[in-house]
Amino acid sequence: MDVGLFGQYVANGLMLGVIYAMVAVGFTLFFGVLDVIKFSHGDVLTAGAFAGLATYGGLQALGFASPAVQLLIMLLVAVAAMAFLGALIAKYLVLPLRTAPPLNTLLLTLMLGAALRECVRLFYPQGANPKPFPRLLPQDAVALGSFMLRLDNALLLLGGLAAIAAVHFVITRTKLGLAIRAVAQDAETARIMGIDFERVVLLTFALGSGLAALAGIMNGLYYSEINFSIGLLLGVIGFSAAVVGGLGNIYGAILGGFLFAGLQTAGAVLLPALLPQLPSAYKDVFAFAAVIAFMAWRPTGLIAEKTAERV
Amino acid sequence: MAALLGIEGISVGYDRADVLRDVSLAVEAGSITCILGSNGSGKSTLIRAILGLTPPRRGRIVLDGADIAGLPTHAIVARGVACIPEGRRVFPKLTVAENLRLGAYRETREARIRSRMDKVFAIFPRLAERAGQLAGTMSGGEQAMISIGRGLMPEPRLLLVDEPSLGLSPLLVKENFAVIRRANEMGITLLLVEQNVRQTLAIAHSGYVLSQGRVVASGSAPELAQSAEVHQAYFG
Repeated sequence: MDVGLFGQYVANGLMLGVIYAMVAVGFTLFFGVLDVIKFSHGDVLTAGAFAGLATYGGLQALGFASPAVQLLIMLLVAVAAMAFLGALIAKYLVLPLRTAPPLNTLLLTLMLGAALRECVRLFYPQGANPKPFPRLLPQDAVALGSFMLRLDNALLLLGGLAAIAAVHFVITRTKLGLAIRAVAQDAETARIMGIDFERVVLLTFALGSGLAALAGIMNGLYYSEINFSIGLLLGVIGFSAAVVGGLGNIYGAILGGFLFAGLQTAGAVLLPALLPQLPSAYKDVFAFAAVIAFMAWRPTGLIAEKTAERV
Repeated sequence: MAALLGIEGISVGYDRADVLRDVSLAVEAGSITCILGSNGSGKSTLIRAILGLTPPRRGRIVLDGADIAGLPTHAIVARGVACIPEGRRVFPKLTVAENLRLGAYRETREARIRSRMDKVFAIFPRLAERAGQLAGTMSGGEQAMISIGRGLMPEPRLLLVDEPSLGLSPLLVKENFAVIRRANEMGITLLLVEQNVRQTLAIAHSGYVLSQGRVVASGSAPELAQSAEVHQAYFG
């Protein structure tokens, strides 16, 4: 294969991997502290991307022209709004169902996801149509041999890795992170230590949802387009990545995200090469089939944190 | 002596059934007060009620003159109550140092956390050697040290100790009781819940006997050692 094309596939795979890992980390955090699967997570990502787009529209109308300022404000607004939404969902929908069977939480968040998705479709102006997402990052490209490294992609990749590193830092090095890990391991003993359980749960949901908003905006910047259903597939992929990695384990989720992106990219490259009648669009089928086979082999994921007995 | 903790006629239960019925007792400041009782007598439920994990349906729990019944657990802990829970309950995937740090979660001053950790390390030098090791990989005796050290970390005014002898060898039980007595000499008031009558009465000042959710006897430790109810509650 041509080196330039190969580089393109690697860059694309890494980019997708970062986005998937960011979504997967949310799933794994929520499962860690509450043992629940929150299926509205992908649609929170969609809402975050649209919140960013709406902010962009507002800034254009107000006459802020600098792309850097626009992007910064979009990120701040979208991340803050989704962090708040995540905490609201935790407080009013997930926590009250703590004593109910876990299937109820699953069903409720599934419905909430559908409602969020429909709200974006119905209330956003022409929300049913794909929306062009502004290109706010510099579009220059650097030629590395026959591979063109686009500056915007490099920045996105670095930004995503920095976000994951920041979350990792919060979890492993801060007092909040210690509380989150304690609650994840033994919620009752964590309360006996003086940890405000509800506050830690709300902050965890805020953290995961803010990260989803960031992933949504990165997704928009990468494809220069968003639509109301992007969260559907990204949610399922993020969930798969978290399960493949081992639910509850942050490293597992990051690993799972990159693994899934690797499978997709491999599918896109190998399928047309091996079976000429299969177009690369079958990459998702290939990746999900590989995940299913993997789960049959290792039901608890790569790094088993706790068994998913509640799903 | 003034009572640091006064429990006034509490009833506590899960679902429909009351496990504790109209229980009243007092823990004098500076004392070791013990609660004796066999399995199922309601001892652990009493601890859960004081911590706010299972709030009482009726009655008051007065800490230093203020009713704490119904407060969330973290607010009760913030008032100076700590617990060494039954079965040790260390956080298995956290290090020894992180476990201890969590004991002093309400303390924000890093210097104080450090100096208290040093005190715990002075009591249990073994923990200092293993500070970076994951608690779940350590022996039962070492986990008991972590759990006790974690309970001392907040320098609580009232320390609830739930069945410290459970599942430990006689030698370790002896050592742990010595540490509990030492904590009391350092000024910590203790409420000690135990099945092990002889060793408990040897260090306690006074105590109560629970049977089927009611207080059936109370008195000073020497009185309880002679009491027929104690014998009946255990061996009867």
